[in-house]
Amino acid sequence: MKKAVKMTLREKKMFIVFTLIYTILIFLTSFFIQVATSPTGGGGETTTFFIIIFFGTSLVLSLLYAWIIVARNRRIFATLKCIGWTNGNINTLVSGIIFYTTFMGFFIVIEVLFHYAAIIAYLNSANILVGIPAILISLVPVAITFLIFLVVQLAAIILANRKVLKVRPMLALKRVGE
Amino acid sequence: MPIDKDVMIEAIDVNKEYRRSGAIIRALVDINMSIKSGEFIIIQGPTGCGKSTLLNVLSGLDLPDSGKIIFDGENIARSKEDRLSKIRRQKVGMIFQDFNLIKTLTAVENVESMLWPTVLSNKEIENRAIAALRDVNMLERKDHFPVQMSGGEKQRVAIARAIIGKPRVIFADEPSGNLDPESETQIMELLKKINKDYETTILCVSHRNTVAKHGDRIIKMDNGRIV
Repeated sequence: MKKAVKMTLREKKMFIVFTLIYTILIFLTSFFIQVATSPTGGGGETTTFFIIIFFGTSLVLSLLYAWIIVARNRRIFATLKCIGWTNGNINTLVSGIIFYTTFMGFFIVIEVLFHYAAIIAYLNSANILVGIPAILISLVPVAITFLIFLVVQLAAIILANRKVLKVRPMLALKRVGE
Repeated sequence: MPIDKDVMIEAIDVNKEYRRSGAIIRALVDINMSIKSGEFIIIQGPTGCGKSTLLNVLSGLDLPDSGKIIFDGENIARSKEDRLSKIRRQKVGMIFQDFNLIKTLTAVENVESMLWPTVLSNKEIENRAIAALRDVNMLERKDHFPVQMSGGEKQRVAIARAIIGKPRVIFADEPSGNLDPESETQIMELLKKINKDYETTILCVSHRNTVAKHGDRIIKMDNGRIV
């Protein structure tokens, strides 16, 4: 897992892009779940529609992320197979990369919500913006969203594992550009 | 049949065919050879003669269509992928023409990557990586990324990665193919030193005649046969 984190962080551009996408999706999905389950009544069918759209988008993006990870690193994985890594070792690495990115999205959402609550509470103490709720999204919808996102990642991991199996170690012996 | 303990690798009646654009290409034809422990073998021949296929088959990267590959006393010709991976991790070091270093990892991390899936502690892996980098005179560049190194330096790091696992055999596929003559000499002398110091068996595929002088024995190939 530590190696997966190291390799994820070194792929800065892809890591930042997908972490931000996950952050936005987790935030929006949590928000709509909060609205749908609020005692005052949510937006009805529209809210449910948005929740389904966000989960569908997260599934598509997770599959895309898994596909990109394997496609971009085929030569690396072939080399690792040549030097003695098993398919299981590489699958663990890929799973670590996928899960780590999802966890980071979750933590950023939690961090943003904490800061938001702190700022609102601070302003309220000075009688500024009184009436605005300090809790934008409660923890339960965020946790539910996160758990569903983790399940969605399993589909991505299955896809990645199938693709990793198809990477032949001999690919590492081919010349670059061949 | 008794196994000669001095024999590291033996190929018995090995054949391998490929299909390309509908045509059948006989890459290896009735190959019989044996390599003794501690030998430095150079495999030479023109492009497409089957020397890389032979290296792939002997190292367990590819399976022959028929015949046996006895590697350190075990027939690996029909072994499963995970068994072959384990053999490669425990007994084999690989060196590639294009170095195949991971560009997002430093030199020492690239060397360590060979042992990441093992049960060794991080400290032990780091110590071994540093020792391997010292062996190839690259210790001062241990925190550099591949993009910051010359071709010769990258190949030295790749050699360090190959020796960190203390392999019985090193397979080198055109190790000097992307290097200038001076770097080629340095790399081949380094391989020779590893061969002598650690008694590591080395199989080196090269189409360059200048490489031949570094080996104990030269195996010449043509049209999939040893000539």
